[in-house]
Amino acid sequence: MMRLDHLPNQRDNEHVVLFLRRHWFALLTIATAFVLLVGAPLAAGFYFQETILDWLAHPVIGPLFTILASIYFLSIWLFAFLEFTDYYLDTWIITNERIINIEQEGLFNRTASELDLAAVQDTTAEIRGILQTIFTYGQVYVQTAGEKGRFHFKNIDNPEHVKELVTRLVEEDKRRISMLGAGSHGKIKSVIK
Amino acid sequence: MFELPNIDLPLYVFLVVFGAYMVFYVLYSLFNIYHLVRYGVYGFGLYLIVTVFTGGTILLVAGSTFLLLEYNWMLPISLENATEFYNEDLFPAL
Repeated sequence: MMRLDHLPNQRDNEHVVLFLRRHWFALLTIATAFVLLVGAPLAAGFYFQETILDWLAHPVIGPLFTILASIYFLSIWLFAFLEFTDYYLDTWIITNERIINIEQEGLFNRTASELDLAAVQDTTAEIRGILQTIFTYGQVYVQTAGEKGRFHFKNIDNPEHVKELVTRLVEEDKRRISMLGAGSHGKIKSVIK
Repeated sequence: MFELPNIDLPLYVFLVVFGAYMVFYVLYSLFNIYHLVRYGVYGFGLYLIVTVFTGGTILLVAGSTFLLLEYNWMLPISLENATEFYNEDLFPAL
């Protein structure tokens, strides 16, 4: 279990600034699919109530129908839970020193990566389409100097704000590192003297 | 003329299929819960999610069991009589 006050490989003076998951619209999509998949057969069952009751009363069709219905509803429940887990485990953690990107793809694929804020070269926020504009969610791309150095914050809430925050934190981190460098440089100089 | 052999199958064969599905369901659920607990962020929400899922599963399985207990599972289904189920009794309301 991950604790936000005790991150993996946490450094001295490092603290979490922002913890991100996908926008709640992703949850709404899962909930809508769940309600439709459960509601449609229930509504059909209510409409064809007499037929269903006849089927249930039949000594052979009744148990077969009950088993099929049970398998169907249990599968929908499991599917919703799997989708929710995928949403829940996709996280981005921004600290004052680095960005941690944890992505769950299905049940068997998981990617965890991190990058130092000082290595960030460019940050882009992107809001596309009518839904993203109305609900203020979108993408943030964090670009580094490396070849594979691109982090993608998918469908997060308020990407403009996140972009500004990351830019500010990058500047602060670079300033901190240059001050540390200047400090250590000074120390070496004093040793040489 | 070709004639189908008359095979009698007990109704509980369907229960075996349901049992196999339940084994798959339980294994998949446990694996998913393990993922949540192992990689999820510590907090009340995590326990709530696992409790809601487990509660929902228990309700669904209990409801299914309650309905399935009503039937006589030793009833044999013969291939000869299978065509009896495929008639207008299947859709009486139509």
